[in-house]
Amino acid sequence: MARKRRSSKNKKSQLPLVIGGGAAVLLLAVGAAVVMKPSDSAADAPESRFSVVEYRQDASRLTGNSYRLKARVENIETLGNDRLVAVSLPGNKMERLPLLVHSGVCGRVNLTRGDTFVFDVICRNGQDAEGLDVKGIMVVQKVETE
Amino acid sequence: MVMQASAQLGKKNPPVPANTPQQQGQSSLQLSAPANGTAPKIGQSFTDPESGETPNPQILGMEIPLLDPASDTMSYNGGKFDVGNNALVRARFEKYLQQNPDDSTEAKRYRKKMNSIIKLTQKSARKAREVGSETLVKIGHTLYDMNDYDGDAGQSGNLASAIASAIAVQYANRDRKRQNEKLQKEIDSLVDKTNMMTNRNTGRGRQANASVGEKKSGAAADTTVTNTFKIAHNTKKITGLEASGIKNDADSIAATELSKINFQSTIVSMLMQRRFDHALLGSQVYRHIFRDGDTTLKLDNESQAAQLFEGGVGLPPTVNTMATIASNMRREVDQNMEAVTNLLAQNKLADATQHLIEAVAVGEYMQSVATFPVEGRRRIAEFWSLRRKALTTLNARDYAATEEIARKMKELDADFDDSMLTSYCTGRKYQSDLHLRNAAKALKDGDDATFNEEITKAGTIWPKNPNLEKGRQELEKLDKQDPVRDEFRTLVSRKEYRTIYNEQDKFEVVAIDAELKKQYKEAITLIGTIDGMLEQLEVAARQDSVMGPCMAYEMLMQRGMEDARYKDDSRYREAVNRFALGAHDFVKALEDGKACEARREYGSALSNYLRAQCLYPRSALAGEGVTRVSNIILKAKF
Repeated sequence: MARKRRSSKNKKSQLPLVIGGGAAVLLLAVGAAVVMKPSDSAADAPESRFSVVEYRQDASRLTGNSYRLKARVENIETLGNDRLVAVSLPGNKMERLPLLVHSGVCGRVNLTRGDTFVFDVICRNGQDAEGLDVKGIMVVQKVETE
Repeated sequence: MVMQASAQLGKKNPPVPANTPQQQGQSSLQLSAPANGTAPKIGQSFTDPESGETPNPQILGMEIPLLDPASDTMSYNGGKFDVGNNALVRARFEKYLQQNPDDSTEAKRYRKKMNSIIKLTQKSARKAREVGSETLVKIGHTLYDMNDYDGDAGQSGNLASAIASAIAVQYANRDRKRQNEKLQKEIDSLVDKTNMMTNRNTGRGRQANASVGEKKSGAAADTTVTNTFKIAHNTKKITGLEASGIKNDADSIAATELSKINFQSTIVSMLMQRRFDHALLGSQVYRHIFRDGDTTLKLDNESQAAQLFEGGVGLPPTVNTMATIASNMRREVDQNMEAVTNLLAQNKLADATQHLIEAVAVGEYMQSVATFPVEGRRRIAEFWSLRRKALTTLNARDYAATEEIARKMKELDADFDDSMLTSYCTGRKYQSDLHLRNAAKALKDGDDATFNEEITKAGTIWPKNPNLEKGRQELEKLDKQDPVRDEFRTLVSRKEYRTIYNEQDKFEVVAIDAELKKQYKEAITLIGTIDGMLEQLEVAARQDSVMGPCMAYEMLMQRGMEDARYKDDSRYREAVNRFALGAHDFVKALEDGKACEARREYGSALSNYLRAQCLYPRSALAGEGVTRVSNIILKAKF
């Protein structure tokens, strides 16, 4: 699967084109938003192409990528104010994706087991107490109710 | 102690033959001429004083066994033995048991005659006695008749001969007495004649008185000379006649004494041979023949036999004493046989056997013993045979066989007291087994000296101990075990426990060595546990084709982690591979989780463990992984 990088480093030379294209897209989007009713299905979004199988094989490849995932909470592990939530994506209930939810990220959303939420996540590397890598962790940035 | 006469069992002195030159040549009571100064006298024991044995009382060289009814032992020649456990008594008793009762016409006639002459002697004892009387002649003739019976063994003939000899001596004495009477008359006549001639020569008497004061003629002087010689001749003749008379008297006395000794020897001999009827008869007849009233036995006063006959009252032994002994013996034997009959009727075989053997040992030739029925003999013979076997097995220290025989004896006689026999056997068996146990312990400890000593003790106490045979087999195995032991050690070093398990019978011998025994047990236990576990897992895996293999795989892995030896077993490894194939996704998730964890890709690792948990929710391995990685993630900083 091709990586979808949103980094702007490679596009500095084409900045005018991008700005122009972006403006066009923005206009199209506004038009569409006005004309058409916005879709409620997160599966239709580009983030929905995230594969847990691939994640299991090598999460380091996804480091830095952000995803918006609609997932059902299967289990919650708590340590202090942080939580490690195991979620299942639609269509594959035999897979589990661990999401690290720091305190305050959920806002007013109350994560409960068995309920489905929309998670904005980013794949990050961290460090443990000894300074060693802790790679490929999906860190939740925002949670919304379905 | 009751004194009982028995057969001449192993007597040391040979019987003294009657009328031997030695006897005739001695006027003393020492019938056996001493060859040297140490030769024994009649009635004296010549047991070696340094032997430490107490000699039994002897009569005329024949030793009298003394039966102690309190302990059923018989004292003989300084020793004591059980009347039922003596080779000679046993042999005679067994011969008796196998004989038929002596109920033949001849036997009945013999016993009838014996009874009649015993009664005859008792009757005639109250009458006037006379040498060569009709009674004695009748007794003598009857005894000669009885001598023809085989069972008499010539005893009647011997007694008849003794009676005849004694009567002959009495007749000879009577002749000598008559001869002395004649001699005395002749002496008296010669004395008268000599007195007359003497008176004449001295001038005294009738002729002398007639020629007093007269001068004697020459013829008269010649007559005096002639009378003198005649007087001397008569005097010499009187002396010779008196000497003859004295010689006759001395001969009579010597012959009488010798005759008494001969007769007493015959009676004592019969008493010793347990011919109590003959002994009683001889004692009665003795008083008919020797009418001087002297019935004293001619024994050495210092002999033990004399002391024995004297008993506790200090009276000299007499022929009457022997008659009393014979009578008592007859009564004792008859009472014993009556007891045997009664005990057999009550099925008390042990007591009946004891009474019968005593009766046979004492009065084998008695009428009541000889006519004992064959049925009773057969029953006692059966019990006796068991008793003999019991003694034999006891002597052979075959205690198991002894106990079995005791059981059979108990079956035959419910009153038979086998407690002493069985308790003795049991004690000896325990003793032997205890030594065997000590030997086994010594073998384990490698103490050869103690092992040999204990084995020897165990075998000595109970040679047929079945555990000895087992021990021998173990030792044989021990001798062969060295190559096996080497092979076993090789297999252990290679961790080929399953080979040991498959050939456990072969390698069992190494268990004699304590260290190898431990390894042997561990190998057998390990493989047995693995096989048992695999069988259970196979069943469980078949019951749930989805989670079953996951469960089996995980359990095998857990056991393998707990005991590294599991992984050395081929069947275990084969099972792990097989279950891993059945639980492929689960196994892959776990392995991927481990691999990611190793690369510190904890997100992927946790995702894999969570997937494994989805496939097999009860998975401990997956659960441990989840917990472990979750903690790492939650503690990390991002």
